[in-house]
Amino acid sequence: MPDINALKAEAKRILSEGMVDIVIGFKAGDTPLHPQPAFFKTPDEVDQLVYNALCQNNLATYLTRFPKTQKIGMVVRGCESRSVNALVFEGQHPREGLYLIGVPCDGIIDWRKIVEQTGEEVFSVIEQSDNTVLVEAKSGFFTLEKETLLHESCARCIHPNPISADVVIGELLPEGDPALACEKVAAFAGLSMEERHAWFRQEAERCIRCYACREACPMCYCEECFVDHISPRWTESGTTPAGMQGWHIVRAFHQTGRCTSCGACERACPMDIKMTYLTEKLNEDMRRKYNFEVGLDATTAPPFSTVTLDDKSRFVI
Amino acid sequence: MNLILKKDHLNHLLNAWRQEYEVYAPQSLQNFTHFLPLQDGFELAFDKAHNTRIPPKALFLPTSEALLKFTRFGGYEEVPSETAPRLIFGIRPCDAHAMTMLDTVFEQERYTDPLWKARREATVVVGLGCHEPCQTGFCTTVGSGPFNHAGLDAILTDLGEIFLVETLTEKGEHLFTQLETASEDQSMHASEVQQAAAASMPIAFETEGLKQKLDQNFASPYWEEVSRSCLGCGVCTFLCPTCFCFDIVDEAQRGERVRNWDTCMFRTYSLEASGHNPRPSRVERTRQRLSHKYSYWLDQINQIGCTGCGRCVRYCPVGLDIRAMLRKAHQLPSEVLHA
Repeated sequence: MPDINALKAEAKRILSEGMVDIVIGFKAGDTPLHPQPAFFKTPDEVDQLVYNALCQNNLATYLTRFPKTQKIGMVVRGCESRSVNALVFEGQHPREGLYLIGVPCDGIIDWRKIVEQTGEEVFSVIEQSDNTVLVEAKSGFFTLEKETLLHESCARCIHPNPISADVVIGELLPEGDPALACEKVAAFAGLSMEERHAWFRQEAERCIRCYACREACPMCYCEECFVDHISPRWTESGTTPAGMQGWHIVRAFHQTGRCTSCGACERACPMDIKMTYLTEKLNEDMRRKYNFEVGLDATTAPPFSTVTLDDKSRFVI
Repeated sequence: MNLILKKDHLNHLLNAWRQEYEVYAPQSLQNFTHFLPLQDGFELAFDKAHNTRIPPKALFLPTSEALLKFTRFGGYEEVPSETAPRLIFGIRPCDAHAMTMLDTVFEQERYTDPLWKARREATVVVGLGCHEPCQTGFCTTVGSGPFNHAGLDAILTDLGEIFLVETLTEKGEHLFTQLETASEDQSMHASEVQQAAAASMPIAFETEGLKQKLDQNFASPYWEEVSRSCLGCGVCTFLCPTCFCFDIVDEAQRGERVRNWDTCMFRTYSLEASGHNPRPSRVERTRQRLSHKYSYWLDQINQIGCTGCGRCVRYCPVGLDIRAMLRKAHQLPSEVLHA
């Protein structure tokens, strides 16, 4: 956990020195489980800055909302810094217009896992120095192991440290084990085709098509999403099996070589739908087949973003 | 009339109702609770969550439904609107109250929605009052309450070993003919529980004069401020028991005209065929959501279009809290002079 005062001091410094016009971070929420993304324009406003394990959003999703001329400061964890790199590569913001305050991240808590144990009426959540979390709920006080509360994407995170940040606040953490990420994929891949299909249907078909996953994802910044296309119509509009499956499978495919495994899609979902089992598989394919991980820098093209005249698949050009 | 239902008798009663109705009650499915039809060996899930994740409006206005079926060559047939008798058990007063508001939308004199109306008429609604109101709820602030009767045929009050049953309509009376009458003490006890529940809920924001503030500050920078972190997804509106917007789409490949939930929070909701969008950003869409609930509903039916269920607060992926937004709105100046 980085020193919050050092974090605030850096955010204030870059604002007061005119290095950035705005700093994107988090502030305390109106409810105990949900800190809110916040946009600080003056050093005084930075007093509200908070950073804790309940900060569940990927802040890079806000980057594409700003004009490219705006100078933006952002508090970034490992996944966020990689999303920023991916967005910079895709021309969504010039790197010179960004100042990234990196924080090594030991994982985001999935508030659902707290509520499962404490009941839904939670009054306060305090992270303690011994890797436990003290929760005060209507049903009593609970001391929970932080590790058991981590969102799945965080439990198998490979890159907890911010990459290409302009400054890092806090001690760097050991890198995660890629084998852990593979385990998850292997478990799904090990199922029979019927079982995989049943799993996919069970997850996809409780979708209500609110598109929280899309909006929470930094890489979903299309002005017009394929599901909103009228002509041609790419997928059924409603919550029919075909419509829901169409959304989930095509959403995942559009992330190939672009997804940083941050898990913000799952954390935003009001129906608790699992989605990262699809994108993790694609990420593993990218690692295995192309030795590529997105966002490790802002200059390497994702495999599916490269086209050369001698490409074996002629149809792309 | 006040009656007594012993808790250990509840399943027996639910099974008896199943002879006559399809009975929906909160049950666990996958990760949370839903109103699902009771099957043999059912298990109710009242303790797991205060409210079902999806509000029961979905039983009357499904997320998607076919309105008519057509063929390529001009023939079509409407989807029949008959519904078998249904009973919803354990609906919370906020959700039941919301249904009466939606009636004013779907059962207008000249424009009655046959599917909605048929489902409403075929459904008996038994409420479970909230003796322990939830944290995110604010029903008492918006003119509802943890034991509000609106939209219910009967309401239950949890008194420990027993429920006190208040029948509110003929349909409701018909359900509980076998039960013994409550004593005066039991009725008194229930009334104390009900009052204590309402009294335990703080007023979340001031509603007096709120409509005027919202109307007068239509062009205020306030909207930019409160919508800044909004993702623009449909969580708040889709999980809202009073939101009813839909879109009608022809699914030509299936030959169906379907109605899908839609929301003012989506870009495409107000996008016009010309390409012009009168609500071009999340700023205008957020203003529409709040103003509809706290101003335009008042113009139309003189009620706030929110029953305070708190789902939008609980499930907003970025922690936006409508209560805080409205507290801030109330601080806005009364008259804004436009340049």
